[in-house]
Amino acid sequence: MDLVLNPHDAKAVEAADFLKRRVGGKVVALTMGPDMKLIPLMKPLYNAEVMGVDEEYVLSDRKMAGSDTLATSYAVSLGVKKTLERHISPIDELAETISKSGYSDAVKAKAAAFYQANLLPNRVYSELPAIKGSVVQRFLGGDLTANQAVIELARVKESLSHFIVVSGIKTTDGETGSVGTQVAEGVSELLGKLIPHATYVEDFDVDDTASTVVSERRIGRMVQKLEMTLPALLTISTEYRSRETSAASQRDTRSNNYRGKVLQAQKWTADDLGADPKRLGLAGSPTIVGTGIDVGKPPVQKFLNKSLVFAKPVPQFDFEGKKYGPFDKTQLAVDLPPALEARLKEDGSVTIFGYDMLAGELFG
Amino acid sequence: MTDEAKDIWVYLQQDREGLTKDSLEVLAAGRKVASKMNQKVVGILLGEGVEALAKQAVQYGADSILYVDSPAFKTYFNLRYIEAIFTMVEERRPYAFLFAANELGKDLAARIAYRAVTGLATDNVQLEVENYSNPALGNFENLLIQIRPDFGTRLARIYTPRHRPQMATVRPGNFTPLEPDPKRKGKLEKFKFVDVEYPAKVQEVVELPPPELDLTGADVVISLGLGILKDASGHARDPKEAYRLAEQLREAIEKRYHLKAVIGASRALIYAEVKELEGLISKANQVGQTGTTVSPKIYFALGISGALQHRVGMMRSGKIVAVNTDPNAPIFKIAHFPIIGDLYEEVPKLIARVGGRENSGVGLSHAS
Repeated sequence: MDLVLNPHDAKAVEAADFLKRRVGGKVVALTMGPDMKLIPLMKPLYNAEVMGVDEEYVLSDRKMAGSDTLATSYAVSLGVKKTLERHISPIDELAETISKSGYSDAVKAKAAAFYQANLLPNRVYSELPAIKGSVVQRFLGGDLTANQAVIELARVKESLSHFIVVSGIKTTDGETGSVGTQVAEGVSELLGKLIPHATYVEDFDVDDTASTVVSERRIGRMVQKLEMTLPALLTISTEYRSRETSAASQRDTRSNNYRGKVLQAQKWTADDLGADPKRLGLAGSPTIVGTGIDVGKPPVQKFLNKSLVFAKPVPQFDFEGKKYGPFDKTQLAVDLPPALEARLKEDGSVTIFGYDMLAGELFG
Repeated sequence: MTDEAKDIWVYLQQDREGLTKDSLEVLAAGRKVASKMNQKVVGILLGEGVEALAKQAVQYGADSILYVDSPAFKTYFNLRYIEAIFTMVEERRPYAFLFAANELGKDLAARIAYRAVTGLATDNVQLEVENYSNPALGNFENLLIQIRPDFGTRLARIYTPRHRPQMATVRPGNFTPLEPDPKRKGKLEKFKFVDVEYPAKVQEVVELPPPELDLTGADVVISLGLGILKDASGHARDPKEAYRLAEQLREAIEKRYHLKAVIGASRALIYAEVKELEGLISKANQVGQTGTTVSPKIYFALGISGALQHRVGMMRSGKIVAVNTDPNAPIFKIAHFPIIGDLYEEVPKLIARVGGRENSGVGLSHAS
C-alpha cells in the first residue's frame, strides 16, 4: 500500500500556519514512520498555504515498527520534548557564554552559528536589517550588561515553553483518533507538568503574548469554549477555518520568528530520542491485532420476485420415503427435489417472494 | 497477573434529558460481556445531583454505580473528569472499561488509557469474550475481544491481554439499550475525589437543542445513494424525484405502522453535492463509517452500491432491503431482501404495499 499524507492533517498545518502569522515562532512538522517514504511525502508541506512549515522531523526506527497508539504517542511525545530541548539548549549555551566570556567574539560567533542553524529567534540574534535591538546586538553594543542579557534570555526561554501542538483529528488508516490526546498525556509525563488539550477544535485564538489559547469545539450537543494555559495541544476539526491575521501582526511578531526554513527533513531514531525501547514498537504496545473477520456474513436472503418461499405453514410430510418440514410461512423453499417443488407449486404451498410478503416480513 | 482486576466499568454520559442513548448502549454492551465473564457491571457517573441518574443506570443494566457528585462536575471539563476517572481506575483496578465512541468518550478515554499505561481499542462495533492464547504471551481466560473496523475491507479483533483495564470505545448504533427493569437494585457508591489545579478552564458552554434529524433513534432508515441519479437504462433522473419517493415511503411507514422513519444518504451522495438535493439532505443524513452508524429495525438502501464504509455503518440493522440495478452491488451481500431493479419502478410498488390497502392479505395473494 502507498503511503499518503493524512488528509486530516492539512487542517493541523492550517492551524499552525495561523499561529505563526498571529504570534510568530516556528512551525515544526513531526511524524513517525519509514523515513525513506515519509521524507519525500512531507516535502510539499514547506510550501503549504500560507507560509508553510519551517522544519521537518521524521521519527524513524525499526524499533518503532508495530507501535499501537500508546507506543506511537510515547515516541511522538519524545519528539515534541526533543524539539523543545533543541531550541532551549542554544539559549542556555549562549547565556553561559555571555556569563563566562563577557563582551567577546565568542558570543557573536556562537549566536551567529545558532542563528544560521535556525535555532535562535530574531529577538535573540538576527542578521535581518529590519530587526533592531536583538538581545545579542544590544549586549555587544553595550546597551545591556551581561546580567541583563542573561535575564532577557531566560525570558525568551520561558516563552519557548509556550508551545502549541496541533494535530489532525485522526488518521485515515487506523482512524483511532487517540494519538492527539495521548501525546498531550505523554508530553505531560515527560515534562512533568499537565498539558491541557482540546479535541475537535473548530475555532481558536491565542492572546498577543502567546500565553493562553481559547478554543471552541463541539462535543455532542455541547459547544464549549475552553481556555488553556500554554503549552497545550489541539486536535483540529475538519470544520476549522483559520482566522484572518493582519499584515501588521505579522510584522510585529517577526522578532519571534527564526531565520527561515531548513529544507531537509531530519530523521530521529529511538536513540536520538533517548527512548526506552520497552515502550516502543510491539514491546510497548498493549494491544494486539488478531485475525480479521469478513464484514456481514450473508444472512438468509430472500430475493424479491426470485426466491421460492412457502406461502403458508406446512406441517411435516413424507415424500418418496423422506421426511420434509415442518415449514413456516415465508420460509425459503430450497434444496427440495424438483418433483416435490413442482407439486408444492401446483398446490399453492410455495410461491415466488413478492411485495406483499416482503411487507409482511418487514412490518408484520 | 490475570487477574486481581475485576468488574466491567461503563462510563455514563448525560445531557438535559438524562442518560444518553449512547451510554445506555454501552451499558448493554457491558452487560453482555460481564454476563459471559461472570463479572459485575459498574456504572461510572460524574456530575452534580446525579443520584437519580445512578438509579436509572441500575435499571438499564448496571450492578452498581460509582459516582462523583459535586458542583465542580456540573460542567464537563476534560482535565478534571480525566483526573477523577483515573483516580478511580488507580484505586479500584477494573478488568475492562468501556466508553461510547463519541466526541466526549474519545476526549476522555485516550488520555486515561495513556495514564493508566494500557491499550485502547476504539470504535468497536462488537464485543465478545473468548479465551486467548498467544505462544509468546501465554494463555488468557475470558479476555475481552474488541471488534472494530480494520482499514481496508474487514473487521479486526483487538486484544489487550497483559494490561488492565482493557479499554474500549463502543461505536453508537451497534448495541440496543436493555429494557429498563424498575425492580433491579444496585449499590450506589459515592466516590471521594480530592480536586487539584488545572492549567485550563471552561469559559462557556452552550447546549444545542436535540438535532432535528435523529438517525440513531429511528426505527426505519431510508437511505439514498448515487444510484438515484440514473434509472436502469442509464438515463439521467431528477434526484428530487427519488427524494420524493423516499419521503412518501417514509410517511406511509410512519402513518401505517407508527414507526419513526428518517431519510439517510450514502457518503458518495453527500460528497457529490447534488444541486437538486440542496436543503433536503446534508451531512447530518450521512450513514456510514464517517457519518452516523445506525442499526434500525428496517434499513432501506435505495441506489446504494454498498462500499465497505457504508456497510459497516448499517450492517447491524434488523432487516435490510436493498434496491439496485446492479446484481453485483456489494450491498446485496448483506441485504436480507435484495431487490434487483430500478428504484424508480420498485419504490412506488413498495409504497403501494405499505401505504395502500389496510388488508393487503400479506402473503396470500399467490395462494389458493
